[in-house]
Amino acid sequence: MEQLELLMGGFASALTPINLLWVLIGALLGTAVGVLPGLGSAMAVALLLPVTFSLEPTAAFIMFAGIYFGGLFGDSTSGILLNTPGHSSAIASTFEGHRMAKSGQAAKALATCAIGAFIGGLIATTLVVFFAPTLVKMATVFGPAEYFALAVFAFLAISAVVSESVIRGIAALGIGLALALVGIDGPSGTARFTLGMPQLFDGISVIVITVGLLALGEVFHIASRIHRDPIATRIETKGRARLNLADFKKALPAWLRGTAFGAPFGLIPAGGAEVPTFLAYGTEKQLAKRRNDPDFGTTGSIHGLAAPEAAANATAGTAMGALLALGLPTSATAAIMLAAFQQYGMQPGPLLFERSGDLVWALLASLFIGLVILVMINIPFASVWAKLLSIPKHYLYAGITVFSMLGVYAVSSAVLDLWLLIAIGLVGFLMRRYNIPLAPVLIAVILGPMAETELRRALAVSEGNLGILIDSPITITLYLVLAAALALSAVQHLRHRASRKV
Amino acid sequence: MSITQNQPEAGSALEPHGKPKRRFGTGRSEFVVVAVLYAVAILLTIGTVTMHVQGKSSPGPQFFPIIVCILLYLVATLLAIQILRSPQIPDNSIHPGHGQFSADMLHDLGHLGKEEAEAFDDAPSKTPAKTWKTYSDWRTVGLMLAGVVAFVALLEPLGWIISATILFWVVAYALGSHRRFFDIGVGLLFSSIIQLAFGAGLGLSLPSGFIGGIL
Repeated sequence: MEQLELLMGGFASALTPINLLWVLIGALLGTAVGVLPGLGSAMAVALLLPVTFSLEPTAAFIMFAGIYFGGLFGDSTSGILLNTPGHSSAIASTFEGHRMAKSGQAAKALATCAIGAFIGGLIATTLVVFFAPTLVKMATVFGPAEYFALAVFAFLAISAVVSESVIRGIAALGIGLALALVGIDGPSGTARFTLGMPQLFDGISVIVITVGLLALGEVFHIASRIHRDPIATRIETKGRARLNLADFKKALPAWLRGTAFGAPFGLIPAGGAEVPTFLAYGTEKQLAKRRNDPDFGTTGSIHGLAAPEAAANATAGTAMGALLALGLPTSATAAIMLAAFQQYGMQPGPLLFERSGDLVWALLASLFIGLVILVMINIPFASVWAKLLSIPKHYLYAGITVFSMLGVYAVSSAVLDLWLLIAIGLVGFLMRRYNIPLAPVLIAVILGPMAETELRRALAVSEGNLGILIDSPITITLYLVLAAALALSAVQHLRHRASRKV
Repeated sequence: MSITQNQPEAGSALEPHGKPKRRFGTGRSEFVVVAVLYAVAILLTIGTVTMHVQGKSSPGPQFFPIIVCILLYLVATLLAIQILRSPQIPDNSIHPGHGQFSADMLHDLGHLGKEEAEAFDDAPSKTPAKTWKTYSDWRTVGLMLAGVVAFVALLEPLGWIISATILFWVVAYALGSHRRFFDIGVGLLFSSIIQLAFGAGLGLSLPSGFIGGIL
């Protein structure tokens, strides 16, 4: 059990008073951003990422561990109390969660969420600890063609398989790939699309792109609708969020089922927790039908809330494993975390465990510590967190605007980056307005350079023969699975279109 | 809220404001996106053609941009065709994460039915009392945009505290705050705390502007 030893080493370096403080700050900030309506965990990480750059890497990543899970702990709160899920991964928990809140069980619902998030995260992170070395071993047999196949898989899965409109998904992918092309081309040293500006030789900073798309774009979008959309009414919560033993026993199987759905999805680049949360919700719904559960769909069933909540956090937990061991971001949030590693000059993937092993294990240990802290600050103070929902919207978004400007300027001290930020913010607004998914842009920006390098490397080895791309069992399997997923999703799109026409 | 609802298409005659009039432009403003895609593609093409290639590696630095260009031209054209065939008319409900995920797929996975569609119906009514010419509120967006542009232009001459206060104030005003003097105070407090916490505390370099010269 070499992993346990290494993990203990990680705990030893994470459990110093100052590092505990960073986890706590991260957990507080993450929960706060998660609770605020409209800001999911991706935005929490994007907004807070630049701020951590003045810290040394270990402290920064320890803080990230808190932010990463913190955003997920908070994001169901607005769904439960306001019936407006802050983030699409919280939609499935909103159905039953809001029903529970309406029937006077808001505190119970919030506690179910917090414990569900804890259990999901805990199991998933434990899995990562034990299976990360296996994943690393798997990744060492990957050559250029395999990495290229993995990137293509991620690109198409996120833009074509899960998105609403295939064309819009691919369009988003194209925008992301184009943004990633700017800068000096590594292998040849050629300046590409820099318009002769030396500031662009390093490319467009990933921070600018993520903050622009996720934060500023969201603020523009809110601005375009704030005087027009109806205002949601909030259900008040009183006292501590609590769960009695009977409820706990009732929810436990649902939490575990949710975790079972969520954990595998962290490894698949399907864009995050939406698919597993809906799967978990659907299963609970079927089970409730079989059990003749009268609560489900009326006063709100604790099962229907517990399962998706655990699924969301389990996905986030194993996504961290895929990120660390394979260097593969499977969701928008993971993509931003990858950007954070790159900012510190580290490349997640098989070599990370060798080169920066201490940091990786400290990060994994902090994920556990973060979960414990989060459950401690979420259960007793759930109604305090809910108070954040009464911050007037105009101050909230004014604060976010100022903060996103701060973050981008703090990283580079370049005014050019701020102009780029505004431009990308406008693109983000357009994309929201026309229902174009954002995740493909982020994945393309992060994986684009890798895809290009590996493709060119593979083709250089084979002297231009495209056959090398489908030359190994791993690549063939990846492309076959991808083709099957694309076919399935096409069938589904067509079936629904047909049924809508009737 | 509509993960559970289908998007109204123009063909279904579901006019959000109950107005029957429909011109060619209705639901087709998405051509802006097509224009952006073509613009990016053309910029990439020009950049690829005029690139000063260093070294003689094969495939060279122009190889991948060409693929991206082809992809962009293709997808822009397909999107244009799709908009012509079925314009999208926005409804007035809130869509969290809309477009990110196929609603149909989530619908099937979650075995969603009528109950979930109704879950959001008791929420505020979807048809507002007033109707507008455009879906987006361009006055508010314009004000916000003016605010951020002014901030970036003023940041170095005026310094962080003053320009961030102005930005905070403009955004709060645009989003509907009526307490103008109070907002200046909140903005000033907010930007000063940031200057103290991040400038003095974490050592980020924020421009001090002309005040820094005086003090």
